[in-house]
Amino acid sequence: MHAASQSFMDRSKAALSNPNLKVAIERTAGTAERKRSTAIADFSEFAATRERGRRIKDHVIANLDYYLKEFERNALASGAKVYWARTSDEACRIAIDICKRAGAKRVTRSKSMLGEEIGLPNALLEAGIERVETDLAEHIIQLAGETPSHIVWPAMHKTREDVAALFKAKHNPPPESGDVADLVRSARRQLREKFLSSDVGISGANFLIADTGALCTVTNEGNAELTTTPPRTHIVTAGFEKLVPSIDHAFVLLRLLVRSATGGDFTQYTTFHCGPKRKGDADGPDDFHIVLVDNGRTRMLANGPKEMLRCIRCGACMNHCVVYRQIGGHAYGSTYPGPMGSVLTPVLDGLAQSRDLPHACTLNGKCEEVCPVEIPLPSLLRGWRDRSWREGLEPRLMRAGIGGWAFLARHPALYHLGTIFAVKWMRLFRKGGWIRSMPFAGGWTEYRNFPAPARTTFMQAYKAHRSENSDDCA
Amino acid sequence: MTAREEILGDVGRALGRTAWDKASIAAEARTLLEAPDAIRPSLPTPSAVESFLQRVVGPKVGATVDRVSSLAGLPGAVARFLAEKKLDTKVALQPTASFTSLDWARAGVMLHNEINEGVVVGLARWGIAETGSLVFHSAADTPILFNFLPAVNIVAVHAHTIVPHMEDYATAACSVGSAPRNACLITGASGTTDIEGSLVKGAHGPRDLHIVLVDDAATAGSLEPGT
Amino acid sequence: MGNVKPIPHCAAPRVGLFVTCLVDLVRPQVGFAAIKLLEKADCTAEVPLAQTCCGQPAFNSGATDAAAGLARQVIAQFEPFDYVVVPSGSCGGMIKAHYREALANDPIWLPRAEALAAKTWELMSFLVDVRGFRPSGVELHTSATYHDSCAGLRELGIFAQPRALLRDIKGLELKPLACNDVCCGFGGTFCVKYPAISNAIVGEKAQAVAATSADMLLGGDLGCLMNMAGKLSRDGSKVRVLHAAEVVAGMGGGPALGEEG
Repeated sequence: MHAASQSFMDRSKAALSNPNLKVAIERTAGTAERKRSTAIADFSEFAATRERGRRIKDHVIANLDYYLKEFERNALASGAKVYWARTSDEACRIAIDICKRAGAKRVTRSKSMLGEEIGLPNALLEAGIERVETDLAEHIIQLAGETPSHIVWPAMHKTREDVAALFKAKHNPPPESGDVADLVRSARRQLREKFLSSDVGISGANFLIADTGALCTVTNEGNAELTTTPPRTHIVTAGFEKLVPSIDHAFVLLRLLVRSATGGDFTQYTTFHCGPKRKGDADGPDDFHIVLVDNGRTRMLANGPKEMLRCIRCGACMNHCVVYRQIGGHAYGSTYPGPMGSVLTPVLDGLAQSRDLPHACTLNGKCEEVCPVEIPLPSLLRGWRDRSWREGLEPRLMRAGIGGWAFLARHPALYHLGTIFAVKWMRLFRKGGWIRSMPFAGGWTEYRNFPAPARTTFMQAYKAHRSENSDDCA
Repeated sequence: MTAREEILGDVGRALGRTAWDKASIAAEARTLLEAPDAIRPSLPTPSAVESFLQRVVGPKVGATVDRVSSLAGLPGAVARFLAEKKLDTKVALQPTASFTSLDWARAGVMLHNEINEGVVVGLARWGIAETGSLVFHSAADTPILFNFLPAVNIVAVHAHTIVPHMEDYATAACSVGSAPRNACLITGASGTTDIEGSLVKGAHGPRDLHIVLVDDAATAGSLEPGT
Repeated sequence: MGNVKPIPHCAAPRVGLFVTCLVDLVRPQVGFAAIKLLEKADCTAEVPLAQTCCGQPAFNSGATDAAAGLARQVIAQFEPFDYVVVPSGSCGGMIKAHYREALANDPIWLPRAEALAAKTWELMSFLVDVRGFRPSGVELHTSATYHDSCAGLRELGIFAQPRALLRDIKGLELKPLACNDVCCGFGGTFCVKYPAISNAIVGEKAQAVAATSADMLLGGDLGCLMNMAGKLSRDGSKVRVLHAAEVVAGMGGGPALGEEG
């Protein structure tokens, strides 16, 4: 649920007043920042790899039609079935149909943000099919009835006590204690039986390999393989920007992905899935279905933000974002939070509904600096602001304010007169050298003092000095 | 129009084309893989095997390691490991041909079929030094679940199957045939930091990984998978 | 003196000083410090009298056309100079990096924007990288810490230059600021559009400043300095905040932000 009834302002204020959330954010995103920094320092070829990664992604984007067809051709040849979905509804419909044809009562899922994006959990619920999330964090938020707050650590907002209480209530038998190790053991126990009794396993894909029609999943838990190997049917839902030309290209991007996401060099389980099980294989699914999802990606290609198709979903941008680090993920009210979410959400949900996201940003540029594929995030965010302005979505007061300021600035004589009066007016509110409150400045003075302006503007003083013909400007 | 036609049509329109030159796309894709050493970490030693061993015992992989001079030494290595860990000397074996002729009884290792939450002994087809990964390809003698269901995974790997970088694995894999259903690159034991960022091993997969390097020079220099 | 551009032994370069709207409105001494420094660096400093704003508030609010209008005005006013110098990384970045974006669809003004960008410099990087200047005979006996404003750091590469200048101030003890390169939460209109979030961000910055035990906070962007000074003052901190240019120009003994009667 995206708490659409609340505004971004309300959600962010609620987040800011939650001290537990701040602790949780520092523990995950803060740690990820430090670990990434160490991992990058250890990888002297990182800058060169980053540039190559960008070029690989741009090459695929520039040839997306070719790679889509190549992937489909090779996937079909491997024995997979391939489907194309324009919209999130269509993607869910296809996945549910496959489940129904397979007579599925229970579906296991490994973590997939794309699955969240298209609303697959809800679709399964409406179809009356039991959904079992297997990624530990997804399992936690499933039990809590919540949505992910980070694309790599979906349950980062939960404390150990939160999880202990959840597991005590919902696990049978309950965990032995509230220690993290016992909580994990309990989840392992609970989910082991589900893995082995599931009818269908649904995964996402970190990469789609065009020249083999395979997909690549990366996890640290091993739940992707436990999800996709025991059941008779494996369904993949993947955004088609995940395409790469070959496994070697995937390796280049994997070197960027893991370091940027968690600071590791490689995840414990990096698995390529190509077609259903082969004749004679000891295990594996009989049926393999790949749903290629558009859901706005062709729009991004045509109208921008095109560079966003490079995104490999590492989460580095949000880990380093001063805004995310204060408000966490749920405040964004979207599948994807942080800088990448603020660029993607207007595509998925429409700009009118989500204009706060690209605006709630200082444009400081740290996100772009850490993006492993050099996405110009501040530029793309400003691009949404430009579109918002052109579409008349900006609040009237803002339009008037900026318009008024720009008008004055284009009329220097008026402007300089205006500044002289503004300074006089502001100084009326000063106590000593500070202004603690002032009309129209509530946004600033609610939390900060405003330094009282000097008696004259620079231009006033400069002109006065010049007319005195003095060289001494001290 | 089907969704497929619509999507491909929209993509083509966005790219401003309806046709493309496959050869030049392939050439450009190849160029993007040029000078691979400039875009990947170098190994700490000139030996892929020694680099592999260094990496797997380091904190980033966190496995334990033993070394035997031939596969015949595997049962002994398994027994040693189980004794050290104070575990029952009962294991399940990956159904690989080269394991059946080994003398497990002599080493005091009992064989059974309990995979789930037990100890499983497997054989990796390749090792990758760069990451410290073990590679398994699904096959009749390689059930993938044998690497995920046990609590403890003991994996033998022949020294001559350890390649330097990930791309070297891909080259080797290509040369032995078309892609298997699953190619698993396993790097350490299962773990999670999902609860408060605390690392716990054994999230779903095995919590312990023990690697037995088989240091036989039998087919040294070849990239053939171990048999 | 490091990598210094050869200074031609002809007429001193004519520098057009773009003072910035915040300096004009709130803290003129930064502009006078800039003039003093430019003259010490053997330049003639002129202040085009019709200057107003670089257009960044409009640009960052998405009002690109309004920003383009201001860009043309600035270009016309400043292109006659040998250099344009700006005592701000964010306004300097606006001219140097973003005018070409605002005027991307204007075939007449785009080349003029590029030409201006090529000769536009933030003040401290101009002094160090172009003029090879260091202060001499300047004293200030206090401890200070330095905040790296985001636009200056990431768009213009300003990091070493302020430190090179401040190192030569006799008696000035520079203390490193933890997370010196983390945004202070100003972000132009962001701080008033999303004040609660901005406050949370600047709150952490204020804590980091306090943790240095430095008596003074310096930086190169008045917007950031006002934001941090305002928060520090509201929190009752005694840390004094000045623009680094004032200290380098020997005006560090003057009133800090919020100290003028």
